[in-house]
Amino acid sequence: MSFSAAKEMAPYLAEPKAMPVGTPGKTGYLRLGFELDDRGRSIMRDLERRAPLIVQQELYFDEGMPEMPCVYILSSGGPNVDGDRYEQHFTVRRGAYAHLSTGAATKLAEMRYNYSGLRQRFELEEDAYLEFLPEPTIPCRHTRFIADTTIRIDPTATLFYAEIYMSGRKYFDRGERFAYDVLSVTARAERPDGQQLFREKFVVRPEIYAPTSLGAMNGYDVFANVIVLTPPDAAERIYARTEAFIDADRRLAAGITHLPNGCGLLYKVLGDETGPVKRLVRQFCSTVREEVKQRPLPEEFPWR
Amino acid sequence: MHLLALTDSAFPVGTFSFSNGLETAADTGLVHDAATLEAYAREIARQAAFTDGVAALQAMRSYRRDDFDGIVGADHQAILCKMNTEARQMTCRMGKKLAELYARIATDGTVARWLDEIAAERTPGTYPAAQGIVFAASGIEERELFCSHQYGAINTVLNAALRCVRVSHYDTQRIFFRLAAEIGPLYNEAATMEYDDMNAFVPQTDILASLHEKGSKRLFMN
Repeated sequence: MSFSAAKEMAPYLAEPKAMPVGTPGKTGYLRLGFELDDRGRSIMRDLERRAPLIVQQELYFDEGMPEMPCVYILSSGGPNVDGDRYEQHFTVRRGAYAHLSTGAATKLAEMRYNYSGLRQRFELEEDAYLEFLPEPTIPCRHTRFIADTTIRIDPTATLFYAEIYMSGRKYFDRGERFAYDVLSVTARAERPDGQQLFREKFVVRPEIYAPTSLGAMNGYDVFANVIVLTPPDAAERIYARTEAFIDADRRLAAGITHLPNGCGLLYKVLGDETGPVKRLVRQFCSTVREEVKQRPLPEEFPWR
Repeated sequence: MHLLALTDSAFPVGTFSFSNGLETAADTGLVHDAATLEAYAREIARQAAFTDGVAALQAMRSYRRDDFDGIVGADHQAILCKMNTEARQMTCRMGKKLAELYARIATDGTVARWLDEIAAERTPGTYPAAQGIVFAASGIEERELFCSHQYGAINTVLNAALRCVRVSHYDTQRIFFRLAAEIGPLYNEAATMEYDDMNAFVPQTDILASLHEKGSKRLFMN
């Protein structure tokens, strides 16, 4: 789908005055490919990058799974600005595994003319395993952001895919909550033979429909959306171990359900602050890793 | 008459056994009076408009083009975007029921063929797809279909509210009339949407649905 064809972006198609869409430095690209080497070790075989997206090399710092290549995606450009277009393509080949995150929260700057777009593609082959657990995304006033994620996954593979969205810079100035123009987020998955599995799209346009209403955010500021695509037996074990709750005292709520076509699970968390939401998402990731790889996630680094 | 009969909550497709998540919203205290009920019903109506509402309109257009693959496509799209197990069960149960009922009260080749496809598990048989086909077969227009679809989504919540929220018939009818005024703009938006545009943002409702799915207390099926 072309971003500029999306109806919700139609009001934001003017050329940015500072640097036009497509200028070097505004079109980040990343292609990472993981596979097993001759000795059966999972390594990052492919690395192609274009500024401002940066990946240096895989590191093996996960104490819970020391054989797991871990990669932090960085951006040298600071926040995503008006007219930025980023593209990320991740492939995990047969039997390989990896953990991806970002070095810091993704900040989305104020935009006046155009919008910022992120296109992602995940390809997981037989028995592949990928954890995608980035830091939260923080929109600010008049941010326009569209993300489109396509997943192609073998029925034997597992993908843990998490996104955390803040209402805005809630402690900046007098507080910015849902002061952005539009947030459009789509994720879709299919099998290698083309069978479609699910498509989830949410469009938040605070000026048109208040996202603070009952049923939507209703006073919460942080929203985590986690997609787990995994074979049905693992999905059932993860589902059984995961609690759905609304905790009025801690201002935290979580729910889990099955995705269509028996392809996996969908986990949602609402909270007031990122810390407790991140902890729940990480705990859920640990459950997934335990059920699929029989190993828990280690404690998060204290500075994260 | 056909429009009124098909829209009536007494039309036996089983709408009375569902609450569109209201049961848990009431149980957790989130919906506890007329104001919170109205806010909840408004979100349900909008979510339905931009997901099932789009699928229903596309199914009707496919029927009118004599495009059976298009109907099956609309049916699949309705399921692809339905992120909740009980909601998928509800829509398939009601969709099949509506088509079966129609096959008994009228003759239509497309409805019969669609029922065969459901039986052969080649199409899921969702309620919006069934509405699109049956309403088109009955000569009902798009706006009326959309209106009926919205009535169904709102009425399910409000009828359930009379049994699990402290509100009166006056409250629910007042809410009905206010929400009715919002259907026009929702139709104008939904009528231009393609499948890629279908969207919903109701994380709190999704969490409530999960609590219902995992819980043991139930007056309604969702």
